[in-house]
Amino acid sequence: MPSLFLPDWKALAEAHRVELPEAALERLRDISRTLLGLRGMLDWGEEPAAIFRVDASEPEPHP
Amino acid sequence: MTIAEAAAALRRREISSVELTLDCLARIEKWNPELNAFLTVTAETALEQARAADAEFASGLDRGPLHGIPIAHKDLFCTRGVRTTGGSKTFAGFIPEFDAAVVERLRNAGAVMVGKTNLHEHAYGITSENPHYGPVRNPWDPARSPGGSSGGSAVAVATGMALGATGTDTGGSIRVPASWCGITGLKPTFGRVSKFGVLPLGYTLDHMGPMALTVRDTALLFEAMAGHDPRDSSSVDRPVPHCLPPEGAISLKGVRIGLPRNFFFERIERDVDAAVYFMAYTAEDLGAELERMRVPDGDQLNALAHTTLLVEAAAVHEPYYRKRRSTYGEDVRTLLDMGRLIPAVDYVQAQRLRRRILGVFLDILKKVDALLVPATPMTAPLLGQKEVEIRGQMEDTRLAATRLTRGINLLGLPALSLPAGLSSAGLPVGCQLIGRPWEEPLLLRIGAALEARTGFARRPPRFA
Repeated sequence: MPSLFLPDWKALAEAHRVELPEAALERLRDISRTLLGLRGMLDWGEEPAAIFRVDASEPEPHP
Repeated sequence: MTIAEAAAALRRREISSVELTLDCLARIEKWNPELNAFLTVTAETALEQARAADAEFASGLDRGPLHGIPIAHKDLFCTRGVRTTGGSKTFAGFIPEFDAAVVERLRNAGAVMVGKTNLHEHAYGITSENPHYGPVRNPWDPARSPGGSSGGSAVAVATGMALGATGTDTGGSIRVPASWCGITGLKPTFGRVSKFGVLPLGYTLDHMGPMALTVRDTALLFEAMAGHDPRDSSSVDRPVPHCLPPEGAISLKGVRIGLPRNFFFERIERDVDAAVYFMAYTAEDLGAELERMRVPDGDQLNALAHTTLLVEAAAVHEPYYRKRRSTYGEDVRTLLDMGRLIPAVDYVQAQRLRRRILGVFLDILKKVDALLVPATPMTAPLLGQKEVEIRGQMEDTRLAATRLTRGINLLGLPALSLPAGLSSAGLPVGCQLIGRPWEEPLLLRIGAALEARTGFARRPPRFA
């Protein structure tokens, strides 16, 4: 299922008016799947995340 | 004849630069119609340069070991007054008004340029099947690919059409053709050799390097090519160390060589596996300590490298692609279109992950001096072969060919590809030594030791 991290490459290509062969679309799917998995390796303690924190369990703040 | 042998013969006055150049030109005339290694042959200016080199020798001026040596440049390097196509229709008529830094350095070292070599279009591919100028053919079997993108350079060197050549490596483009043509090629540390005047492909992945028949010749070319150049923003200001390995037998006592347990030896042809292990045991026999170890997952590294290349190449080509899309071949067009679709966030995260994985590799390279791995999982495929079968599994030829090289470009580490013998079908197998940043001299020393013991540096029989 397409998501922010796993886009629908075929739809994206069509939106850009680009025709890609199935092998190219499959390669893009492979890459995005691998990148999604790798995001776990990112150091989310790096700035700015080390300073600006969000606790998802707390209610959304209102300005 | 190798560069080192030719240089010695020139100094003994046993041969002249004109004779060396005429020999290369004769080989080009004889073999290029079949192998298609050269796009432009600069016979007239080559002979002028050779005559000048001979005159300089006669007057007592010696510019060093490349003085009077015939070499070829990949047609991606700008050459003043000589057409530079990038293997493309897009730049078919481009005649630069200046030399690339590497061309300039080699010219100043006295090298003679015999011509410009054929390549995969825009250096964006691994087979050198060029839709505009025809495929380059492998001298070990003309029905096969020589590898790419520096395919013409590898063929020129393997057949003696030139004694050395320049190449570029963005995902394996020096090491793969070196491996499939049975020669040596060095991808230096990122920042070591200037990129000025070379048509880019991936801003942070492109490496310029030498290709030659032997490790010693590769070292000679590398020493002349390397060095800081303020015209290239990624060029690093570090002195170039002495790189020439000693002649004859070399001990590897005290050298620690890592053999990855995972990824690099998985899914490779049996002949490749046997050949690279033979090189490892030869290193051990020469005194090296072998250490088996785990390395970061190569498929993940390749995904990051691919993301980076797809985006950077799309950015490089944006101005030309917009104006001249129809001049691009189908495979390159597809790759450029793919690059335009990748989200910017993915590119940025890939760069953050790149730094993390580099850290892991640098830790590994504290424990060992170099990693010894295959250069490619398989020997040269047939021209036009879209898929290869490796250990019973079908794989896209292009992805398979670069599977063991691509990630090293992302890390910017130096890597030397050298012959590891022949497969049972008589095709060359290559291995690569991957080292710490700036430690090309150590890789060249290990490579020279292996070469001296195995004697694998040789031309294809027809061209000996």
